[in-house]
Amino acid sequence: MVQYNFKRITVVPNGKAFIDIILSRTQRQTPTVVHKGYKINRLRSFYMRKVKYTQTNFHEKLSAIIDEFPRLDQIHPFYGDLLHVLYNKDHYKLALGQVNTARNLISKIAKDYVKLLKYGDSLYRCKCLKVAALGRMCTVVKRITPSLAYLEQIRQHMARLPSIDPNTRTVLICGYPNVGKSSFMNKITRADVDVQPYAFTTKSLFVGHTDYKYLRYQVIDTPGILDRPFEDRNIIEMCSITALAHLRAAVLFFLDISGSCGYTIAQQAALFHSIKSLFMNKPLVIVCNKTDLMPMENISEEDRNLVEEMKAEAMKTAMGASEEAVLLKMSTLTDEGVMSVKNAACERLLDQRVEAKMKSKKINDHLNRFHVALPKPRDNIERLPCIPQVVLEARAKEAAEMEKRKTEKDLEEENGGAGVYSASLRKHYILKHEEWKDDIIPEILDGHNVADFIDPDILVRLEELEREEEQRQAEAEEEDIEMDGEELTEEQKEQLAAIRKKKAVLIQEHRLKKTVAQNRSTVPRKFDKERKYTTKRMGRELSAMGMDPSSAVNRARSKSRGRKRDRSEDGGNDAMDVDDDQQTNKKQRVRSKSRSMSISRSQSRPPAHEAVPGDGFKDSTQKKAAITISHKSHKKRDKNARRGEADRVIPTLRPKHLFSGKRGKGKTDRR
Amino acid sequence: MAQNDYMDLHRKRHGQRLDHQERMRKKKAREAHNHSKRAQKSLGLKGKMISKKNYSEKALMKKTLKMHEESSSRRRTDEDVQEGAVPAYLLDRENTSRAKVLSNTIKQKRKEKAGKWEVPLPKVRPVAEDEMFRVIRSGKRKIKQWKRMVTKATFVGPGFTRKPPKYERFIRPSGLRFTKAHVTHPELKCTFCLEIIGIKKNPNGPMYTSLGVMTRGTIIEVNVSELGLVTPAGKVVWGKYAQVTNNPENDGCINAVLLV
Repeated sequence: MVQYNFKRITVVPNGKAFIDIILSRTQRQTPTVVHKGYKINRLRSFYMRKVKYTQTNFHEKLSAIIDEFPRLDQIHPFYGDLLHVLYNKDHYKLALGQVNTARNLISKIAKDYVKLLKYGDSLYRCKCLKVAALGRMCTVVKRITPSLAYLEQIRQHMARLPSIDPNTRTVLICGYPNVGKSSFMNKITRADVDVQPYAFTTKSLFVGHTDYKYLRYQVIDTPGILDRPFEDRNIIEMCSITALAHLRAAVLFFLDISGSCGYTIAQQAALFHSIKSLFMNKPLVIVCNKTDLMPMENISEEDRNLVEEMKAEAMKTAMGASEEAVLLKMSTLTDEGVMSVKNAACERLLDQRVEAKMKSKKINDHLNRFHVALPKPRDNIERLPCIPQVVLEARAKEAAEMEKRKTEKDLEEENGGAGVYSASLRKHYILKHEEWKDDIIPEILDGHNVADFIDPDILVRLEELEREEEQRQAEAEEEDIEMDGEELTEEQKEQLAAIRKKKAVLIQEHRLKKTVAQNRSTVPRKFDKERKYTTKRMGRELSAMGMDPSSAVNRARSKSRGRKRDRSEDGGNDAMDVDDDQQTNKKQRVRSKSRSMSISRSQSRPPAHEAVPGDGFKDSTQKKAAITISHKSHKKRDKNARRGEADRVIPTLRPKHLFSGKRGKGKTDRR
Repeated sequence: MAQNDYMDLHRKRHGQRLDHQERMRKKKAREAHNHSKRAQKSLGLKGKMISKKNYSEKALMKKTLKMHEESSSRRRTDEDVQEGAVPAYLLDRENTSRAKVLSNTIKQKRKEKAGKWEVPLPKVRPVAEDEMFRVIRSGKRKIKQWKRMVTKATFVGPGFTRKPPKYERFIRPSGLRFTKAHVTHPELKCTFCLEIIGIKKNPNGPMYTSLGVMTRGTIIEVNVSELGLVTPAGKVVWGKYAQVTNNPENDGCINAVLLV
């Protein structure tokens, strides 16, 4: 099924805009940078591409125009004729033909210039040829500017044409001007056609839709037709004629029997007879309108005869319809008979269409698929639908309730109508007691807004507050005890501060040590450059901690100065003078002599140089020798502050910052 | 009013806004400002297009203004004295510029002999040989260099056949051969697309004439039978000379002026 939608046609730009679009597109979509020094092939192809690209764009755009505009001989004859009436077929075809010619010319130009570009031997020449090619293409388009403008106008008009489907169920309203066609249209559809008390208010076809028996009908309102030769009819009338000629619809011929439209019944009858060939094979209904002005019975004898004649004519094509369905009376002003006219027309159209369908060949293919199942009656008892009494009662009750309920509007009307009745806003309050609804609370009381003091959950809040206070009191008591310790003297405060400071310093130091712990070598103390480990310092620190440093200092000094000569061999070593076992005593004495008395070492561990079984040494001398050798071996390493054998770090020997740039006034090792 | 003219319909039902005229006036007054804003802001191709349009509009307006000024202001016309004008008292005398009256045909012949015409383009830029020809290398090893290809537009007669390629010295590529020219009649001020009959003379030399090369300034003979020109004797002229006024190889077409 072809859909007639002329809204889809793309905009046709005018000649100048067309050229602008195409040329700027070429500029944007093709490369723009080219240089004299390029290979000639590259230059040629650069410009050839531009020419070809422009041509394809022109071709596409022009083809789109040619393809999108409908071919008048390929669309439905109704639309073909309508477009011919509105826009003149010759002009339309000429315009499209010109577009087609332009398209061919442009293709030819592009072909020629691409050929010439193959012989281009310099950038200048190629460029000149490109300019000439594009210029000629643009000239061709410029020449068809009037055609493009015409097509654009047509496009705009076509997009606004009413979307009439020529194949669907259609009711067509026709008649003399000003006989009430449009008012009838407005009655049965929502089309909203302009109705005015003068002839030719409707100047084009109008379409609306109506329903009958759950089917949708397209109703077409046509402009009025005058009774004159076909050649003299103007465009407006021709629209109606086209619709009448090509649409297979139910035709409503409107007759103004009062004659208030300015034409007598005789004139209208003449029109009917002159266009009756257009009603062939269509359900025709003659509608006598404006019966409110003049009832059907009052018309003169001659007119009645004319009407009867028309009726007889219409009956010829009635195809078995009753007389009542052919001639109908109606008044659009009083709505009398409007529905019956619509129903008659729709009914007859439907009958005709069904009949036509039944006659067609296709129907056999469909009929065998239809089957309407009807259960066979098993006996003669009639079985009506049974609805239980309870349900009926319930329904009745519901209905009664629905009726009983009063809306605000009802109330308003009962109590004096709009402006008098004022709806109560309190009616639907949800309160604990019904009578509270009407209680009056002043808005302002004693200079305060009452609303500010209303708190719905005040009791809960009060409880919360009390609980909180209790808690606070308990806390305050606890704090009192702690507070005692905080009353310090000035001296104590200072001490506290000092302690804290020291702590902080220690933490800092520790952290520093920790960060570099991995890379720090155990360096012998004698390389202690910062003089960190001095006796003085130790004494200071110990005293700062509140200890008496004198003994420690003395001890250190005694150590560093070497052992003094003993006063007596056993001075202070009385315990050892027990003569129970000479041998052991002697041995012990010897040992005690050889070692510093100050060193206290666990007795369970043998001295370093004493050979222990499992040590791997023959005797202590051997071990001593080994120890010496080992000391010697890392003496040098220690001196160089190396960590171990593997510590082979070579520091930056010539630091960049010290060996580059000019030397200033200062020292050589600072820059 | 058609069914879908909803804007018209709305206007008909509800009328315009009360300040519609005012708004339209303001919009129109503002248009120039908006246009200038856009013109100043747009860059590249769009900017070029706008400025070109503006320029042409401005030039046109100035021209019209000037024309109006001219028509309104009075000036003394001081036209130059036409050539050959004589005072009233000498009007009855006949002055002969030539001792002997020559017939038109003899004049034409003489001119031809002298090889000189009064042409619209008396002087043209000489075209060097290496611009005119491209060297084509030939031979199996491409070392022979005696072949030439003409790089300009050429004309060859309808019955032209190439020499055998082995001996062909000058190649006139078929893509650059032309048979038609756009000839302007200087008095009629209109242009016709006419067939070329032959090359009369190429200003760059007789060799080019014989090769049929058409460059700027070349005199060509065109078929003017379409124009319906008639000789004094009443015969229809069919061949006439014309001078090429453009560079055909650059423009892809031949423009010429008829010599009358």
